[in-house]
Amino acid sequence: MSLVAEAFVSQIAAAEPWPENATLYQQLKGEQILLSDNAASLAVQAFLQMCNLPIKVVCRANAEYMSPSGKVPFIHVGNQVVSELGPIVQFVKAKGHSLSDGLDEVQKAEMKAYMELVNNMLLTAELYLQWCDEATVGEITHARYGSPYPWPLNHILAYQKQWEVRRKMKAIGWGKKTLDQVLEDVDQCCQALSQRLGTQPYFFNKQPTELDALVFGHLYTILTTQLTSDELSEKVKNYSNLLAFCRRIEQHYFEDRVLKKHSRWYFQEWLHRTET
Amino acid sequence: HCPGLHPVDEPHSLACDPAEAWRESHSFSARLRVFSALEALWLWRESRAPLCTPGAFGEKVPESWAYAKFSGAPLKVNVIDNTWRGSRGDVPILTTKDNIVSQPAKILNFLRKQKYNADYELSARQGADTLAYIALLEEKLLPAVLHTFWVENDNYFTVTKPWFASRIPFPLSLILPGRMSKGALNRILLTRGEPPLYHLREVEAQIYRDAKECLNLLSHRLGTSQFFFGDMPSTLDAYVFGFLAPLYKVRFPKVQLQEHLKQLSNLCRFCDDILNSYFRHSLGGISPAGQETVDANLQKLTQLVNKESNLIEKMDDNLRQSPQLPPRKLPTLKLTPAEEESNSLQRLSP
Repeated sequence: MSLVAEAFVSQIAAAEPWPENATLYQQLKGEQILLSDNAASLAVQAFLQMCNLPIKVVCRANAEYMSPSGKVPFIHVGNQVVSELGPIVQFVKAKGHSLSDGLDEVQKAEMKAYMELVNNMLLTAELYLQWCDEATVGEITHARYGSPYPWPLNHILAYQKQWEVRRKMKAIGWGKKTLDQVLEDVDQCCQALSQRLGTQPYFFNKQPTELDALVFGHLYTILTTQLTSDELSEKVKNYSNLLAFCRRIEQHYFEDRVLKKHSRWYFQEWLHRTET
Repeated sequence: HCPGLHPVDEPHSLACDPAEAWRESHSFSARLRVFSALEALWLWRESRAPLCTPGAFGEKVPESWAYAKFSGAPLKVNVIDNTWRGSRGDVPILTTKDNIVSQPAKILNFLRKQKYNADYELSARQGADTLAYIALLEEKLLPAVLHTFWVENDNYFTVTKPWFASRIPFPLSLILPGRMSKGALNRILLTRGEPPLYHLREVEAQIYRDAKECLNLLSHRLGTSQFFFGDMPSTLDAYVFGFLAPLYKVRFPKVQLQEHLKQLSNLCRFCDDILNSYFRHSLGGISPAGQETVDANLQKLTQLVNKESNLIEKMDDNLRQSPQLPPRKLPTLKLTPAEEESNSLQRLSP
């Protein structure tokens, strides 16, 4: 959007308060949604919870096509539709709610840098695992992605998406990476996040910010999604402060909501097993 | 301790004086084979030096070099004319007696393992910050830099393409620049050109906005200190320098991003400081010990290049016909025996 259009949209956004019937759209939870989309959706939900803004989650098979940018999740607020965490954060800010107002310039720079780190490494690794790793593609991704559609549409759509993602991976230089290298990158990223978090409750000490929401979304999804192998979640489990961080956010912000019943159970079961 | 390297006296963990470190460890036999990025700024040896600009494989070259300088790793820079092989994107390459390491991140890791560590004094958290800022640079700044060098028509056809094509052997000079340009455009469109941005102009507007924001963030982060983490340079400084220096120094017709960068005085000061302390110094301070003997031809060539560059500078200034631009002084060539420093406009045909 040009600067003028953006200013215009912000003005419209600022004019109305947050309505009660705001909805978030994502793909079908049980059968269709994939790891990366689930992580993004969870991040947005966490962010809105942290801002104390009510949101209803609606699952639709064609959420990806409804979204203005082709990415899920997107929110429908009043008569505006905004997709992806970045624009949603700006939209919410225009409405007068912000989590990062208390940060100074240097901290804001740091926050943006860490958000890019998560997008650059974690999200790309998730996409790689889903679409470029043959085992996962065959067993999980193809089946899930095309599940709402009849034959042959399910195969065509899945192959089309795979081709798109692989093209993008090649363009950014991840096409030649092996799975081990990708897992090593994930490890490096988690190590950086763990070192940055240290012993603090949130990344910028007492108050959560959009960075916390994003990190929670990705890490929680990685920990609670069953893939063909456990390697990805093992990498995250090496860092105990990240696990504590996920648990803390889950307890504070998702206690009263059914987050994802069986995945939460899985998470708690796992924690219980490791603690005993 | 890598078996391929001669043992050095002590780990050169802090680069107090890179030239001195260089002189001391003349037994080190590593060579950095590299496509030199900008003739105006960096050294190279063989006269027929192919080069590349920030782009498909060039953006990491200045970083590797800068990092090596900061950490005091003694390197010999060799420019290879292996354009055919190199066009697969295999440079920069670090070769020691037994190892070949390619790709910048791996080169940095390798240097770090050999205890040429510029990050020795960084805390764990600062190391994490480094990774985060590098990700920020790659996501926000790189598309705009690629665009400035390779996609923007005026810049590409008047500066990048002739410069590049003049330095690589004939048949490739017709193919490679075009390929790199398409690769850059492809990358920009695939990573940023998603709806609701449908037109290339909108994508361009967005990436330049992101790049300017990124430069502002870097400027805030740098503040008034000399380097990003205190007084000693580190990996992050090398990366930032690698991105900013070409943007700062190369003269383009369309200078949108450069103008913005010039307004951030602390970033300009940062680039100048590094250039003056680490690269200028090397020009005068390279010891002949362990280095190849001087070629008399190199000296003659240096003089010729000097004359040519002055002539071309004058012609270029006339051509541009922009009286408000002060005649910028290109770094002059120093006639030291071992190096030559060439001019960025050397091959630019009027």
